[in-house]
Amino acid sequence: MSGGDRGVAWAFPRELFEEKGLRQVTVWTRGVVLIKEARDVVTALAGAAAREGKQSQAWENYVDLPDRINVPVKAYARISDRPIESRYIYENEAPDIVVVVEESLVKGNPILDGLRPGGTLVVNTRRRPEEIARFLTPGSGLGLLAVVDAAGIATTEKTLSGQEGASDASGIGGGWAAPLSGAVVRACGLVGLPSLEAVVKAPEAARIGYERTILLELA
Amino acid sequence: MGKKALLTGVVAVAHAVKMADVDVIASYPIRPYTGVMSELARMIADGELDAEMIRAEGEHSQLSIAYGASAAGARTFVGSSGVGVTYAYEVYSPISGARLPVQMMIADRTLDPPGDFGSEHTDALCCRDQGWLMGWAETPQEALDMCLVYYRAGEDPQVSLPQYACQDGYFVSHITGEVAIPDPAQVREFLPPFRPVRVLDPAKPIAVGPQIEPSMGPPLQYQRYLAMQESRRVLTEAYEEFAGIFGRRYAPLVEAFLADDAEVLLVTSGAHTATARNVVQKLRGLGEKIGLLKLRSIRPFPDRELAAACDGAKVVGVLDNDAAFGISGGGGVLYTEVCTALQGGGLGDRELLGFVAGLGGEVISREEFYWMAQVMLDRARRGPVAASGKRESGGDAGLMARENWKKTFWLPFDMEAGEGAA
Repeated sequence: MSGGDRGVAWAFPRELFEEKGLRQVTVWTRGVVLIKEARDVVTALAGAAAREGKQSQAWENYVDLPDRINVPVKAYARISDRPIESRYIYENEAPDIVVVVEESLVKGNPILDGLRPGGTLVVNTRRRPEEIARFLTPGSGLGLLAVVDAAGIATTEKTLSGQEGASDASGIGGGWAAPLSGAVVRACGLVGLPSLEAVVKAPEAARIGYERTILLELA
Repeated sequence: MGKKALLTGVVAVAHAVKMADVDVIASYPIRPYTGVMSELARMIADGELDAEMIRAEGEHSQLSIAYGASAAGARTFVGSSGVGVTYAYEVYSPISGARLPVQMMIADRTLDPPGDFGSEHTDALCCRDQGWLMGWAETPQEALDMCLVYYRAGEDPQVSLPQYACQDGYFVSHITGEVAIPDPAQVREFLPPFRPVRVLDPAKPIAVGPQIEPSMGPPLQYQRYLAMQESRRVLTEAYEEFAGIFGRRYAPLVEAFLADDAEVLLVTSGAHTATARNVVQKLRGLGEKIGLLKLRSIRPFPDRELAAACDGAKVVGVLDNDAAFGISGGGGVLYTEVCTALQGGGLGDRELLGFVAGLGGEVISREEFYWMAQVMLDRARRGPVAASGKRESGGDAGLMARENWKKTFWLPFDMEAGEGAA
């Protein structure tokens, strides 16, 4: 940012706006068929955080919607011990945690863009983390790769309820989202497992996801 | 006691509508309003809400249905966004002219072209002079509370006017926030059932919306004017009683933040206030005398409260999240309104600046608010521009530089061009 023609510069003091303790979660999924799973991951994590007295927010990327079948779409959560100052900075600028609901999204999508150094990637896959790592952009600063076979633990749920900011009458976290959220908890302890179990429809799936998560340290 | 939940703005409003025990809902889908409609439909289907829900074939019909239902004595709710708001334009004045307290939730959306789902206040502000109360909620909690306060104030016999309860599309409507859902008994205490002064009744026929002679025009319009004037007092009292019952206290018309000794003030409305407040707070921490004023009410416009809050400020900047092409001053709607409210403060003792930002639903970034603040602080340091065009202080006083006269800025373009610096 500069003052331009009169030569006066107003450099934006980015460090002044650092939000210590803020964790950003970005979830990538595929439109229509798997959108509920992404929405459920962010809703469950934000809800679990709220149970712990934390500040949180969850939302879908409105610009990606209305979605079309299988197009890449995103959902977000922010969790903090303090009031969230960046509430209406619409997209997560520097995610701490990226979750991929469908494994092939790791190819050809900028899933690690802006990732905070040492950040975490959670992928729903049956593959070993070493195999997933081969598809990731080098130099992304990824610190931890976690894989979980969410599809082997739960069945994906499909509903038209819960779109456009409305509540989801079918409930939250009955499908892949439960083990995927469990994997997030295992990988980075964003919230406590009991808090997560308390807000999802399938707490056992969340716990099994937590237990079966395989971690690969990269940094 | 109530309970807390993470709710989006649309769901928060649906809860308010349910607790307000609305009788008739007329709907027509358009993003981002759609979520309210589907949530209310779910509530009715699940037996949580006993209301008549009528799916119109367009927004003009939607408002016409509410017009009739309200005239028959029903508490009514409608909502829309963007071009849906403007499609119903014809019906707004008849509803307020008949003094019917219909409530319309507007989740902002940019007007076409191009087709854009993004939020912009232009849709609602197009309707600002139709005799409806109007204000913006910054959070889902404020959206819920505003719905209740507006029914209460709008149905007051001293007001009897419809209300636009606005929220920024997707920022407020689609992001969850923590919401205290009040106890229904508290809501019943605050908002008793709608008791219309007169209703459509075959036993006692009346005419609503008839043709009149021109001689009947002045008194009819004057009554609507007086009702809008009176709504300042009624709104203030409603917010006061709201605080007593629910424990959440709102400045009814203008909300001040770090404004007491501020030399520079930014006036905002709606969701982007949250980002602006963050920037103002950081600059305060650096010792800058900057504050913020959030307009909770746009109609009625809080002239006196705003003027009082701006007393002592050297520079007042106004954020406009609306496009008003060719408008006086070259800023947006709120800039012209603030200029009028502060009457002539643009020259001499106080400088008034306008900032148009966030059009099309673009995020108004912290960088942009920081830049607005620096432009205002810079003007405050350089001193006021005299009517002659000369500054009273500053090394380049006497130069009628273009920057001295530039009052309104369009972001990000003027920021990138360095227009504010001098």
